Amino acid sequence: MGYPHKSHPKETVVLSQYFGDADARTIKGWTKRGGYEALAQALKMDPVAVTDVVKESGLRGRGGAGFPTGLKWSFMPKEKKKAHYLCVNADESEPGTFKDREIMRWTPHALLEGTAIAAYAIRAEVAYIYIRGEFTEPWTIMERALAEANAADVFGDIKIHLHRGAGAYICGEETALMNSIEGKRGNPRIKPPFPAAAGLFGLPTTINNVETLAAVPHIIKRGAAWYKGLCLSNPKSTGTKLFSVCGHVQRPGNYEVTMGFPLKDLLYDMCGGPPAGRTLKACIPGGSSVPILTREETEATLLDYEGVVAQGSMLGSGGVIVFDDSADMVYQIMRLARFYAHESCAQCTQCREGTAWTTKIMERILAGQGKTKDLDLLLDLSENMTGKTICVLSDSCAAPIVSGIKKFRGEFEAYLAGKRQPVMVG
Amino acid sequence: MTVQEDYQPVFSGKVLEELQTVLQRYPNKQAALLPTLWLAQREHGWISDRIMAEVAEVLGLTPAYVKGVVTFYTMYHQHPVGKNFVQVCTTSPCNICGAEEVLKSLLEHSGAGDAGATSPDGKWTIVEVECLGACGFATPILINDDFIESVTPDKVAELVRKYR
Amino acid sequence: MADGLINLTIDGAPVSVPPGTLVIEAAKQAGVLVPHYCYHPGLPVAGVCRMCLVEIEKAPKLQIACATTVIEGMVVKTQAPAAKDARRSVLEFLLINHPLDCPICDQAGECELQDFVFQEGQRGTRYGEFAKRFNPVEDFGPDVLYVPNRCILCTRCVRFMEDVAQEPVLNVSERGDRAFIGIHPEARLDHPWAGNVVDLCPVGSLLSKDFLHKARAWELDKTASICTGCSQGCNITLDTRDEVVVRVRPRPNLDINRYFICDHGRMHYRWMNRGDRIEAPLVKKDGGLHATDWDEAFARVLAILRGASGKAVALVSPGASSEALVAAKRLLSGFNWTGAFQVVMGEEAPLAGIPNLALRAERAPNAKGAEQLGYTRDYAQALATAKSAAVVLVLDEPDCAVETDGALIYIGTVLGEDAACRRADVILPIANVAEEEGTFVNRDGREQRYFQAKPAPGMAQPAAWVLEQLAQTMGLAAVP
Repeated sequence: MGYPHKSHPKETVVLSQYFGDADARTIKGWTKRGGYEALAQALKMDPVAVTDVVKESGLRGRGGAGFPTGLKWSFMPKEKKKAHYLCVNADESEPGTFKDREIMRWTPHALLEGTAIAAYAIRAEVAYIYIRGEFTEPWTIMERALAEANAADVFGDIKIHLHRGAGAYICGEETALMNSIEGKRGNPRIKPPFPAAAGLFGLPTTINNVETLAAVPHIIKRGAAWYKGLCLSNPKSTGTKLFSVCGHVQRPGNYEVTMGFPLKDLLYDMCGGPPAGRTLKACIPGGSSVPILTREETEATLLDYEGVVAQGSMLGSGGVIVFDDSADMVYQIMRLARFYAHESCAQCTQCREGTAWTTKIMERILAGQGKTKDLDLLLDLSENMTGKTICVLSDSCAAPIVSGIKKFRGEFEAYLAGKRQPVMVG
Repeated sequence: MTVQEDYQPVFSGKVLEELQTVLQRYPNKQAALLPTLWLAQREHGWISDRIMAEVAEVLGLTPAYVKGVVTFYTMYHQHPVGKNFVQVCTTSPCNICGAEEVLKSLLEHSGAGDAGATSPDGKWTIVEVECLGACGFATPILINDDFIESVTPDKVAELVRKYR
Repeated sequence: MADGLINLTIDGAPVSVPPGTLVIEAAKQAGVLVPHYCYHPGLPVAGVCRMCLVEIEKAPKLQIACATTVIEGMVVKTQAPAAKDARRSVLEFLLINHPLDCPICDQAGECELQDFVFQEGQRGTRYGEFAKRFNPVEDFGPDVLYVPNRCILCTRCVRFMEDVAQEPVLNVSERGDRAFIGIHPEARLDHPWAGNVVDLCPVGSLLSKDFLHKARAWELDKTASICTGCSQGCNITLDTRDEVVVRVRPRPNLDINRYFICDHGRMHYRWMNRGDRIEAPLVKKDGGLHATDWDEAFARVLAILRGASGKAVALVSPGASSEALVAAKRLLSGFNWTGAFQVVMGEEAPLAGIPNLALRAERAPNAKGAEQLGYTRDYAQALATAKSAAVVLVLDEPDCAVETDGALIYIGTVLGEDAACRRADVILPIANVAEEEGTFVNRDGREQRYFQAKPAPGMAQPAAWVLEQLAQTMGLAAVP
């Protein structure tokens, strides 16, 4: 079992304070560490006041979209006429991302507490925590923690249930997640209607990511001003973020830094950079669905929502995938295309057919049978797959293709010109 | 609907009681479908067409509907699998850290041969899966419900021996 | 927003529609058909095919017309370059796995994929030498075949069975480009309304076994008609080729059958092509029946009617047109008249998702019409009265086991070898529902017109014409 590293001095330790501390998983251990005080505090406030605090803090969704959390909560109906629901997105399947599982493995009560506070703020009677099926260990730990918390009657009138996924990346999309809880195929829904108007079982619903909710108890306890103050660059990006660094680095793992932190420092200082003798070639900063950055762009990136956009990519889930000069970019982009082709739900024509076609062309290029016009074809298909579908899986397949061809064209052309050993893909 | 003479319902006795607990968590029976399928797979090892029909009956759905859901989610087995069902992540972050070598090693040492096939001794079925959410601990694998991280080709022989 | 309507512009044309109208429906008012596949006004919106993407001013992305509601002042451009490009790309994506089956596919000529590719698609494919996905043909049930290779996954069939028939027996199986329409192995597509999925399928993926390889769409003549299968009065189209009815399809009528017909009605057409028809008027002469012309036949009938008095009984088919029924009553108005009919009954089969729509127990189209015109259902009594009646008129009831001491006039389409009505004094040949124009009254009292799809055989004429001619010649006033 992988143990998290000891916190690096440059980390801002908030969510990850008790990573690796087995005692913190029990309710006794958690309350000893100040747990559930924030919940008690929140339950004494007016739900709207709780939302206002979160709004003021500048917390933004940590699942990938970066939508202001307090604002999202305020979309729920002001007048309570029907049942409200909260869904917690623990489907973490974005390649490169592995932070939510750490939160669940080491601080399950932090998630439960954040869930309860959020449910209270949006006046939801029931919350479902949707945990992907492959997370067997986090599931067991969450089950145990939930049983403890229920036995201690911490949540009042709020009911929290765990719901196990069964192997579908697309269920991380908020409307597909709701369909999956409803016992359906995990197909994303067309919007409108939006979840706050008609979501789970047709009722007003908010969906939040694990990391987002884990931050909530801290914000309630220490105040919005404190959270807002955790900001190194753009004031619209506040707080800390767990960045899951993986790939060609010496010390992969989850690193918690303040928003606006330089990506260069994260990769070289904290993660030790690529293995000895290697140089950084490319980096995907926010999980595989965001554009690939070159080394120059990577080293110039400040890690907040606006900073990454400034370099031509997106913060996304914060899954930082590092490629050194030994990586075959063409092969890896093919592997990502294949990922999207495998995960497509099959509803939209462009995604269903386009992800598979893209993969086939990439495989053909790798096999040494690519044609020069294949690159233009890939770019054209990617454009046809962007901005035209129910959800953005289709766009996500296009992102590595477009940025890969743009920034690593030489590697593609080497295959086309027969200058590289062909790779037969099974 | 043809009924096999020797079909043993999955949802009876203790399992049926467990199902009742599951049903409490949802406002309607259809929403209990995924957890019910997990129960069925836990009890039977895989989900046959006949079991899909039983699940449908128990939840007031049609067999076709249940089948549509089962075939959507990759973790539900529609065929019997080996005693050890192994899922190996080979998506890019793990791929650049040697995941395909781990897969190859597993296939060799287990005797399974091809990905998706069951080994002759019935003990291993190994499949390639997409990102398992443990990219910093490459390569992660699941052996049934055991999530094992940081697997490298040199650790495979020992793992296979331990689980055989 | 005067009189509660929303005003918008579609392709430059002003359109005014009620609030809540979808852009794709509003476009029809501007005479614009937005190309689409998965959308159907009789099904819940899916928004999956992505064909109907249109440009809407002020919207950052293209929007699907089938799921966008009109807003006051909206400006929609269906022919904007971005929309056309998107449409072309959807067609390209659909065609990469869709086989070039047109020469052997039943749908050719009435295929929406053909239509839109012809209208907007590109000339060739860029898919190259990649293999197309292949799955074998499946037999889904009594009449439906599924050809997975042609399926464009619009899910109309799945939505129909789930929401309209309310029996989810079809599903989408698997994911991504491996997806196909599935059915559980222990189930069959034998719902009484399942045949509609064949009509709904925009391409030749779901096919009717009954119609398989029978005719080409462009060979068909289409005629509006009313189904004679039961008293629901579903609107249908009779498709004929070379004057033979080869297929029945629903005609939209939002008040009665919406967009659907049941399988009983759908398969209920072969009798319209029967060859064993009465083709000439027949009169009893020298102990046998002899073919003659209309003049002699009419003369014989008139002689009978003028020479008789007292009771007359009309035993009529509840499938006869209202015009024929009126004329029959008029013809016998000089007598002490009884008119009666009997209806074959069957099991009712509702289409659960639509109110007031079912295959009705009464398996005849004009029982209500007959009732309204004074015909009684007390058939047994009428048969008894017929025994001693002066004149008995049987209208298109070939199995009528009537016995009478009086004169028997049979007006019908067919006559069995041992039929009681072979003892008639005069037999007049008439057209069936596909060979004439007429009116039926459905169980809700709706009068509906049906039209002639093919010529009647030999000398057969519409029953209404036959009876009206006779009545006129007898100088009988029209029944008010």
